[in-house]
Amino acid sequence: MAAFISGYTFSSVCYHSSNSDSDHEGFLLGEVRQEETLSISDSHIGTSEFLQVVEVHNHEPCTHLFSFYDYAGNISEENLNRILKDRRKNVIGWYRFRRNTQQQMSFREQVIHKKLSSILGVPDLVFLLLSFISTANSSTHALEYVLFRPNRRYNQRISLNIPNLGNTSQQEYKLSSVPNTSKTYVTVIKEHGAEFFDMDGVMKDIRTIFQVYSALQEKVQAVCGEVDQSERVKEKIQEEVNKLKQQIELRKHKTVEEETSALQEPGTSTFSASLESSARLLNLSGQQPPLLTQQTSHVPLQQGSLPLDWSGTTSPLTLPAAGMAVGAGTYTGPPSQDSPSALLLPRPQAVGSPGHPPLGLRLGNDDGSSSNSLERHPTGWDVDEENEDNVESEEEDDDENSSEYENLMSEALSPLVTETLMLGRPAALQPDGDVQSSPSL
Amino acid sequence: SFNPDLHCCLHLATPVLSRISPELRPLLSSVVRNGRVGLDSTNCLRISDLKTGCTSLTPGPCCDRFKLHIPYAGETLKWDIIFNARDPELPPDFIFGEDAEFLPEPSELPHLVAWDAANPECLLQLVKELVQQYHSYQCQRLRESSRLLFEYESLLQDPQYGLSMEIYAGRKNSWTGEFSARFLLKIPVDFSNIPVYLLKDTALDPGEDVALLSVSFEDAEATQVFPKLYLSPSIEHALGGSSALHIPVFPSGGCLIDYVPQVCQLLTNKVQYVIQGYHKRREYVAAFLSHFGMGVVEYDAEGFTKLTLLLMWKDFCFLVHVDLPLYFPRDQPMLTFQSIYHFTSSGQLYSQVQKSYPYSPRWDGNEMAKRAKAYFKTFIPQFQEGAFANGKL
Repeated sequence: MAAFISGYTFSSVCYHSSNSDSDHEGFLLGEVRQEETLSISDSHIGTSEFLQVVEVHNHEPCTHLFSFYDYAGNISEENLNRILKDRRKNVIGWYRFRRNTQQQMSFREQVIHKKLSSILGVPDLVFLLLSFISTANSSTHALEYVLFRPNRRYNQRISLNIPNLGNTSQQEYKLSSVPNTSKTYVTVIKEHGAEFFDMDGVMKDIRTIFQVYSALQEKVQAVCGEVDQSERVKEKIQEEVNKLKQQIELRKHKTVEEETSALQEPGTSTFSASLESSARLLNLSGQQPPLLTQQTSHVPLQQGSLPLDWSGTTSPLTLPAAGMAVGAGTYTGPPSQDSPSALLLPRPQAVGSPGHPPLGLRLGNDDGSSSNSLERHPTGWDVDEENEDNVESEEEDDDENSSEYENLMSEALSPLVTETLMLGRPAALQPDGDVQSSPSL
Repeated sequence: SFNPDLHCCLHLATPVLSRISPELRPLLSSVVRNGRVGLDSTNCLRISDLKTGCTSLTPGPCCDRFKLHIPYAGETLKWDIIFNARDPELPPDFIFGEDAEFLPEPSELPHLVAWDAANPECLLQLVKELVQQYHSYQCQRLRESSRLLFEYESLLQDPQYGLSMEIYAGRKNSWTGEFSARFLLKIPVDFSNIPVYLLKDTALDPGEDVALLSVSFEDAEATQVFPKLYLSPSIEHALGGSSALHIPVFPSGGCLIDYVPQVCQLLTNKVQYVIQGYHKRREYVAAFLSHFGMGVVEYDAEGFTKLTLLLMWKDFCFLVHVDLPLYFPRDQPMLTFQSIYHFTSSGQLYSQVQKSYPYSPRWDGNEMAKRAKAYFKTFIPQFQEGAFANGKL
């Protein structure tokens, strides 16, 4: 069993208690629910655990002692209803505060608890015991609290979770899972909610982000198509080149034969000429510029599309079917030395940023800590230093100030993009179930 | 009647009581003053660990919660009692220490249901009722051992012991599974006829004379049984101290319903001896007085334990000191002859002690006096010789 109470309810209980000049008691209102956790692991078949969760939303303090029971501990239903009114069905427990006493249920508390559970019809009624322990010179006062479920025979004490009560320097300020049941709060949220939420109750920012995501997805798909095409063209050319090579070989043989037969006759100029021509052909074939980038330079790219920085390869590529992720770990060859492999595309305006973050720059996260996002790139994004320098030199001329921002944005984006690249989702993507449909501020 | 030990208790309690909130003081002082809740009357109820339920800025005295120590069956129960100084008319709450499972039924506590804060005895009565309920609870726990339950039930049936019993059923030892229990029984012996002089040391005895038998069962099968007899201090003194009182060992396989009457009988016999001894001594002294008349120098007129005679035989005067033991006439009196003329080297009067001489416990006082006279006549010559030989004038 787990128990939760919001910080403000707990502090309100403490306030009422510590301001009373004697023992103090009241009721705890809230709800109890069952949570089922299904855990799946490789080692065993999935097991489901049931956890009973008690949430304290509010409390109802009693104005004086013995307000709903008599000396013998008998409960008076009349008084009970007078105190609780229509909140009786929300009672999940009760609390008592007594100074300088032991953290143990007393005789009368046990008697009352039994009777209260049966009258209210709550079998697992909880009891919160609060106590102030003061030192002799009143210099230190400790508030101790224990939550009991006395109707159980074993494990009667349960830990009460109070968010943000503890060492908050190590943790972020947490939101309580206990809902706010105040009517005023609900009204205000409704009134101002329209600025943040759309008609379905989804946060507007989320929709915008997903729009960007879909746009990027579209572009990537388009590029896939282009890559496919260019690969085919390249194949064709490769074939032609091979054929030409063969022809060269043949001719070489022929000329060698002719020349060996005509060695007595001079005529090296044709040989050298032919050698030269054949060498030129070889250079042509050996150069092997990254055809993709050449290809991409011809393709008109729209604003906002992602620049691709492919390192050169020496082996022919076989593209998988259109739509599959490009760069699924196959681009590992050394880059070509001569031409810059990264041709930067015009940068989009607000959302998203081009390029890859330079190695030298340390990226900042929002809270001031920094991380090297480069590690997050999958193997398809093989960023190398030389290209980086080239990129940087080009960028520096353009826009020095926005580089950090763009890098930040790219850092934010790249995981998204790489995810799509890696997983190769189909083009039509819907926002998936990760979006919180219930508004929460 | 002035009872100095209770007075002592109150004195110790006074600084404690002064810290209690004024409205609650009457209730507590009757608890401390009367203090008798169980069989063991030698231990008073004690209060400790005074705390307050008011805010820490409240000026004192405002203590309204404390620990009450209650002797019970050889143990001391430590119960927390919680009042509220701001609502002194309300009944208190209790935390029964380590006995977390003890939960009496409120309807069995008349002084709780009809709590009346104006009655200063109310708290004491409520505590007595709670102790009674606690006793029932302990007896219930005996059900875990059929052997001990049998012991309890057989004693319960005997009206002499059944009504004044305290039982403490100890915790089961979770390692060995052993179950232990202690029975504290009041031995019904009449001490009223014990001569008053023996009991005059009232500073030791705070009240009723009582004999308690405590029998500890260290295991549920009653193979390890340890009995112990507790007497109020003056009774113990009157009967000759703890060395004179040996109770028989608990017979293996025996049971309380047979053993307890044995102890009772033993004690009764001892008391009888002591009473008889007193009367016999008185008779002895009376007889000597009549036989020796003016020869009696002095005698103990209260306990008749000593008698001194000044006698003359052939112009030789000597003193005879007679010391009568507690268990006279079973034990024979000691005669100390003393010369009035001669000194020993250490400056004392020369004397000789005679512990064995012709004697029979069956003689009456007269006979003893006659025989003593006869003995003196036979003994004095050699005493005289000894005095002249060993002493100096």
